[in-house]
Amino acid sequence: MALSEPVLVKRIPTPPWGDPADRKYVGYDHFTATGGYAGLKKSLGMAPKAVVDVVKDAELRGRGGAGFPAGMKWSFLPPEDGGRRFLTVNADESEPGTFKDRLLLDFDPHLLLEGIAISMHACRLDTAYIYIRGEYHHQAKTLQKAIDEAYAHKIFGPDSILGLINNFWPQCYVHRGAGAYICGEETGLLESLEGKRGWPRIKPPFPAVAGAFARPTIINNVETLAMVGPIMERGAAWFKSMGKGRSEGVPPTAPASFGPKLFGVSGHVQRPGVYEEELGIKLSTLIDKYCGGMRPGSKFKAAIPGGISMGVLGPDQWDAELDFDIGKKYSCLGLGTAGVIVMDQHTDMVAVARNIARFFAHESCGQCTPCREGTGWMYKILSRIEAGGGTLDDLDLLLELSGSMGALPGTTICGLADGANWAVRTILNKFWAEFEARVSQRRSKVSLAAAGGR
Amino acid sequence: MPSITIDGRQCNYEGKKMILQVAQENGVEIPHYCYHPGLSIVASCRICLAEVAQPNPRNGNKLELIPKLMPTCQTPVADGMVVYTRSPKAIANQKAVMEYLLINHPLDCPVCDQAGECHLQDYSYKYGRAESRFVDDKIKQPKKDIGPHVLLYADRCIMCSRCVRFTKEVSGTAELGVFGRGNREQIDVFPGRPLNNELSGNVVDICPVGALLDKDFLFTQRVWFLKATPSIDGVTASGDHIRIDHNDGLVYRIKPRTNADGNKWWISDEIRYGWKFVHAQERLRVPQRQQLGGMVECDWKTAYREALAGLRKAVKEKGPGSLAVMVSPMLASEEAYLLGKAVRALDEQAILAVGPVPVVGEDKTFPGGYTIYAEKSPNARGVRQALELVGGGAESVLDFPVFIKSLEDKQSKTAAMILTGGYPTPAGESKELVKAVGKRFMVTLDVLPNALASKANVLLPGATWVEKSGSFVNVKGKTQGFMQAIGVLEGARTEGQIALDLLAEMGASEPERYDVATVRERMGGMWVSGVAMPSAAESAVRAEMSYVEL
Ligand SMILES: Cc1cc2nc3c(=O)[nH]c(=O)nc-3n(C[C@H](O)[C@H](O)[C@H](O)COP(=O)(O)O)c2cc1C
Ligand code: SF4
Ligand code: SF4
Ligand code: FES
Repeated sequence: MALSEPVLVKRIPTPPWGDPADRKYVGYDHFTATGGYAGLKKSLGMAPKAVVDVVKDAELRGRGGAGFPAGMKWSFLPPEDGGRRFLTVNADESEPGTFKDRLLLDFDPHLLLEGIAISMHACRLDTAYIYIRGEYHHQAKTLQKAIDEAYAHKIFGPDSILGLINNFWPQCYVHRGAGAYICGEETGLLESLEGKRGWPRIKPPFPAVAGAFARPTIINNVETLAMVGPIMERGAAWFKSMGKGRSEGVPPTAPASFGPKLFGVSGHVQRPGVYEEELGIKLSTLIDKYCGGMRPGSKFKAAIPGGISMGVLGPDQWDAELDFDIGKKYSCLGLGTAGVIVMDQHTDMVAVARNIARFFAHESCGQCTPCREGTGWMYKILSRIEAGGGTLDDLDLLLELSGSMGALPGTTICGLADGANWAVRTILNKFWAEFEARVSQRRSKVSLAAAGGR
Repeated sequence: MPSITIDGRQCNYEGKKMILQVAQENGVEIPHYCYHPGLSIVASCRICLAEVAQPNPRNGNKLELIPKLMPTCQTPVADGMVVYTRSPKAIANQKAVMEYLLINHPLDCPVCDQAGECHLQDYSYKYGRAESRFVDDKIKQPKKDIGPHVLLYADRCIMCSRCVRFTKEVSGTAELGVFGRGNREQIDVFPGRPLNNELSGNVVDICPVGALLDKDFLFTQRVWFLKATPSIDGVTASGDHIRIDHNDGLVYRIKPRTNADGNKWWISDEIRYGWKFVHAQERLRVPQRQQLGGMVECDWKTAYREALAGLRKAVKEKGPGSLAVMVSPMLASEEAYLLGKAVRALDEQAILAVGPVPVVGEDKTFPGGYTIYAEKSPNARGVRQALELVGGGAESVLDFPVFIKSLEDKQSKTAAMILTGGYPTPAGESKELVKAVGKRFMVTLDVLPNALASKANVLLPGATWVEKSGSFVNVKGKTQGFMQAIGVLEGARTEGQIALDLLAEMGASEPERYDVATVRERMGGMWVSGVAMPSAAESAVRAEMSYVEL
């Protein structure tokens, strides 16, 4: 199985279909000349609800990390009440190892804008805010350039082809973040957008009911929305002809893995980069076929499937299928953003765990006690282990800490803690021997000095 | 009535509530830090988590356990819900949260003011683990002076964000914020913007730990030595419910008492620190009389005789209507009644007047609903009501401006009077009054020296509201009783006692001790049944202190 033609990277030269050296900004004219905005035109001829139904039929799942079915999310919106409704586009892309949205923003921002316009029409959203990672200076500029073009061609603004929505001419704004990972979490993003500290909100209410400025709001990732245009243009069946589909034994109502996906590969491979393939491609295929294999002299040891929040795949999981079912099958958290980090035999897994813990300790918003203190504590323990001061007890403690905090067990508000927790836990479990070798076999923490010795 | 079951106990409830609220209403303890009934819910401390089973209407109302731990402060109740706060999973979380909260905490209870009334201490005993497994270096945070009344010990903070929400939602001033991220984050003020709103002291009350401390109370007393007496605001007309914390005859601090249909959980700084005059050096301690052109100290007996002689002389010379009594709005209603009775025993037509009612600025209501009243005395209405009871009707009592006018009138028959003060600042004694009184015979009851007191023929040292019992009628007309917290300053007497002494001295009654219940009996009507008193629980000394089994 392999993608027969590029979809998201149709206009962005990418192996095997093109040479990255040929990449350039795709302006409005280039975009429309190559079939762009056809999905929007088609959607505008349909009733809003019919558009939602197509996206639902396509079983398009969120590409931002959680994999929530987009059509279903759209249908959670309450009926229109005449008031305002918002779309917020998650372009925060701050999950380490993830750089797929950047490719779209850099070269083909109109693909995103088309998806935005379609979802505004389908969900009756009058204003779109694109919340872009603060460090994406260049991308914010390109995006603004594309938005200006779109305004000029009446995609947005007065006399927009979308017509009045909630009595407003549709608007689209870029809002730049200030450099916090937590502002990528959807409700942290909303708080930040409202000018507050990016502290994730407690749910319910869900954003679809009370989101930005306490009004119904849809939040989707850049890639998710970029996928909507092609789906509308070519239909749900076309979309579902790609991807792994529904795994065996999975009930037909459960979300499945359809369509193409961007994979951002980094690490010890010959040719790191963003590649488009069907969901369900094997890790080994991705590395060997697209990335030119491991670096010379490198042997595969571990890989992070999709941003460090997802945990690791071990040496025996080289053939793991990269789809939404990866979590259960290969004991990691999930596919996440499909930002794959590949590690070779020289990688020190203790250092990897320590570095990942450092990230989460640094980025925890500090709201929930278990996450604020737990991430910091794990980082301290791992640093000590790396420096040679660890004990076997520390390993047990790490497993206990990482097993108890997170939104999944219910002890925290958002999923950042789950990310920290799965990363540490899976690395520890899959590379236990490496950790054991690093710590002293001491079980008691009573030092000689404390015991009355010197 | 719908009900839920918490740890096997049936808890009834009405309306839309959270599990934690229903638990509290039913006397079931669920530990909590960030939840405060007067603030928005953030569900961030995570100590209140419990396992919850809910009837599923789609499954024949069969009880189904929610797989996640649920924050009880944020989970709405549903009829038939079953909550487990002592299940192994819930207990494990409580222990974990307690351990987390302490890993970067300095554990400096021996030098912390909060010790003894600290939720971190109490929950450590009840829900924590005996030993921490944290062996690395703690994060050290500074101690900061963040406002005129409040100190922040940042390393004791557990980041419950109550104080931040208070300044956002209740005072509306938003001086406090969270700065930084993760375990390095801190509460702080913005540069050049100190925590100086008129309600700032409340953040100390709601801080569950010793992070925000009151500069005024700092290191003055260990809280377990304090006795608490329920009382009523004695410096403004708010009628706010307060608690006076005192030991060995000294007041150490004033705290708000929860009052659902009044001040809720808050008091203004004015009320919180307004008690300082109680222990002022200058307090009057000995009766004095004019002799040879100066004030000379004397004993009570002499002072009473001298006072009565002067008052009687006036009546004898000028006939009925030559006496007046001016009762300060700082005094209790019961005292006003007795003072009125005493003067009327000497002169049936004596003028009854209410003293000056200080007003500063305008009433100010904060976003959280709390109001600071412009009227800076507790009992203008109560004093009037009590005097009307003596005089018979509204016309029988003069308000201060009318009283001044009557004194200034050339026709004025008034020749001698009893004046009362008791104001925390000399501002209560207006120049107007000094001038209007002129050379008339004057018996003054006051607590602090001032212009009027120095001109008195007889000066009797009175007492402040914390030194006596009585009742005040607040700005909304609510009559509320308060109790004596500390003994009367040595040498001084309550104004109620002075009135009774005068009555005895003039032979109108037997010697008697000032006792509010007896006075209210005599006043009759609503004074017997209509005075709102603190609940039995509030009156019990430090009812909230419990000893923990070790
Ligand atoms: C800590 C944390 C960080 C996140 N960061 C991002 C991010 O940078 N970009 C993103 O698209 N989604 C991010 N998410 C996921 C969003 O919360 C949300 O699920 C997503 O934006 C929804 O869009 P989708 O359904 O289209 O994927 C993050 C989630 C968490 C818990
Ligand atoms: S889990 Fe961590 S990052 Fe998420 S809200 Fe809680 S403290 Fe903040
Ligand atoms: S200072 Fe006190 S009230 Fe404020 S966040 Fe810290 S612990 Fe809570
Ligand atoms: S009291 Fe419920 S989370 Fe803090």
